[in-house]
Amino acid sequence: MKTNTEENSGLSPRSMLQHEKFSRRFRKQLSFQLFVWLGMSFLLIFSFTPMFGVIMAFKDYNITSGIQGIFTSPWIGLKHFEQLINDYNFPTLVRNTLTLSILKLVFSFPIPIIFAIMLNEVRHSLTKRIVQTASYLPHFISWVVVAGIAHAFFSTETGVVNSLLMSMNIIDQPLAILTNPDSFFGLAVGTAIWKEAGWWTIIFLASIAGIDPGLYEAAEIDGAGRLRRIWHITLPGMKGSIVVVLILSIGSMLGGGLVGSNFEQALLFGNTLNSDTSQIIQTYAFNVGLTQGRFAFAAAVDLVQSVISVILILSSNYISRKVSGAGLY
Amino acid sequence: MRTRRKKSREDYFMDVFNYFLLSIITLVTLYPFYFVLVASFNDGIDTANGGLYLWPREFTLDNYKYFLQEAKWTVALGVTTLRTVVGTFLGVLFTSLVAYGLSKSDLIFRKFYFILVVIAMNVSGGLIAYYVVLNGIGLINSFGVYVIPTMLNLFFLLIAVSFFREIPAELGESARMDGASELTIFLKIILPISLPLLATMTLFIGASQWNSWVDSAYFVQFDHLRTVSYRMMEVINQTMLPTDSQTAQYTAQLQVTQFSVQMTALVISVFPIICVYPFLQKYFVKGMMLGSVKG
Repeated sequence: MKTNTEENSGLSPRSMLQHEKFSRRFRKQLSFQLFVWLGMSFLLIFSFTPMFGVIMAFKDYNITSGIQGIFTSPWIGLKHFEQLINDYNFPTLVRNTLTLSILKLVFSFPIPIIFAIMLNEVRHSLTKRIVQTASYLPHFISWVVVAGIAHAFFSTETGVVNSLLMSMNIIDQPLAILTNPDSFFGLAVGTAIWKEAGWWTIIFLASIAGIDPGLYEAAEIDGAGRLRRIWHITLPGMKGSIVVVLILSIGSMLGGGLVGSNFEQALLFGNTLNSDTSQIIQTYAFNVGLTQGRFAFAAAVDLVQSVISVILILSSNYISRKVSGAGLY
Repeated sequence: MRTRRKKSREDYFMDVFNYFLLSIITLVTLYPFYFVLVASFNDGIDTANGGLYLWPREFTLDNYKYFLQEAKWTVALGVTTLRTVVGTFLGVLFTSLVAYGLSKSDLIFRKFYFILVVIAMNVSGGLIAYYVVLNGIGLINSFGVYVIPTMLNLFFLLIAVSFFREIPAELGESARMDGASELTIFLKIILPISLPLLATMTLFIGASQWNSWVDSAYFVQFDHLRTVSYRMMEVINQTMLPTDSQTAQYTAQLQVTQFSVQMTALVISVFPIICVYPFLQKYFVKGMMLGSVKG
């Protein structure tokens, strides 16, 4: 009880001692604090100012008024949002964004898991290394290069795929894969898998490597075949990393998940002929904002997407906490 | 070790199936690179006839000669090289400096700083608000827009923090006694023993600098600031639509087409990455695992 009164009396010797200790500690680590402040000022400029900057979605903002203009320009309420919802493009944009995000998640998520299990079954270590090295490589090249390669393979005139299929008489008209609205989603999902699926096996292979080898030996003695060992030992052993990668994928789903940016894909594989399916919320915001100069309206479009993303991150994290007891935050 | 038992039938079929599928996957991954290489060494007009699969039919260096003559491409190559060198240097140094600060075990307000980092990682104001900020601080239409906003890489910040935390605190102690500043300790003692971390960061930040095109397309308007990836995007956008793709460019002596030059640009753009890739592979696999276990 004595300590209590001491702490409450504000300037008691003990709290003064603590205060001194704090400022001395702070002075001692001042250099470290300075390093951190450099980073935090960087975040303030390049992350937090844009975050607060989205309030221009509720304002009549003009780019010539600069950054201060974001705060000084007049409020106009939800006008930009009403405009967006009444935009004849809006239902298409939402449909395309969701379709692309969901298809990429559903088709690309299981592949690194299966691929990691397949690699783990390879006993010949040189073969394993060659396949791994090859499969990580596309991760390091840009989407522009992938689009260039896609052009080389799928164009109607010189495309490798079309000319091969035609010479084998499988088709008699070249397939307009790059320009047909119906093939855009397939093209986007396929190239995303080609580029990133190999990369994400690294994490799953790491979690397989952490499984106790004794489990496999015991199962083998009990007469379990390879498939049953995979099903009852390898897969359950990967559960933790599968959950983590799934949360990350769902949280970042609207941006493209872990298999490459929806925005870059839509810009690079989108063209006037397939814009029915290739136009997504982000590319629309970008076009309206930067080419037509309607910054505040475009910020409203961005904000809709950011809010949905944050909800997705928080809810996937919450659900995973409930289901498996493991969350990221 | 137990003696290797005879393979069961299941084993045998699974191996055959597995190796077959993995060969196909490897082929599908690598062949596109090979084809681009072949097309870059083949006569452009001959390539347009189709049917080019395994080796150059009419071998030529014209595409490369054309590429190196065209100012548009050489300037872009220079800009891309410069931004990669400067941007990677700044990114690696700044990110690890901030991480070193955050890694101090009894750092005051540490929790608060980490909350800021996690928020910045997950929430974004969108590209438009970002553009307005870049415009406001005068980075639009300058070289700085390539190398300044990329100085702090949050993903690697977290990886670097957990890396530095493993380094025993006593390491800098004797230098500290001699009156060396924390910055000196960081540069002279901490960085030299952090090579695996620095190598991983260099590869990733370097590759993203080298590959970047969105900033070049939307944040600069001057031709002398365009990057290679941007120029490729330009050509791809022109040739994606069938009406334009047959327009061959004839120069006095060189037989090239838009397509064959584009393939050459792809080779030149992928080449440096393929060169450094095998040497850094062991580092980035370790780095990724560090990230996946701790992050």
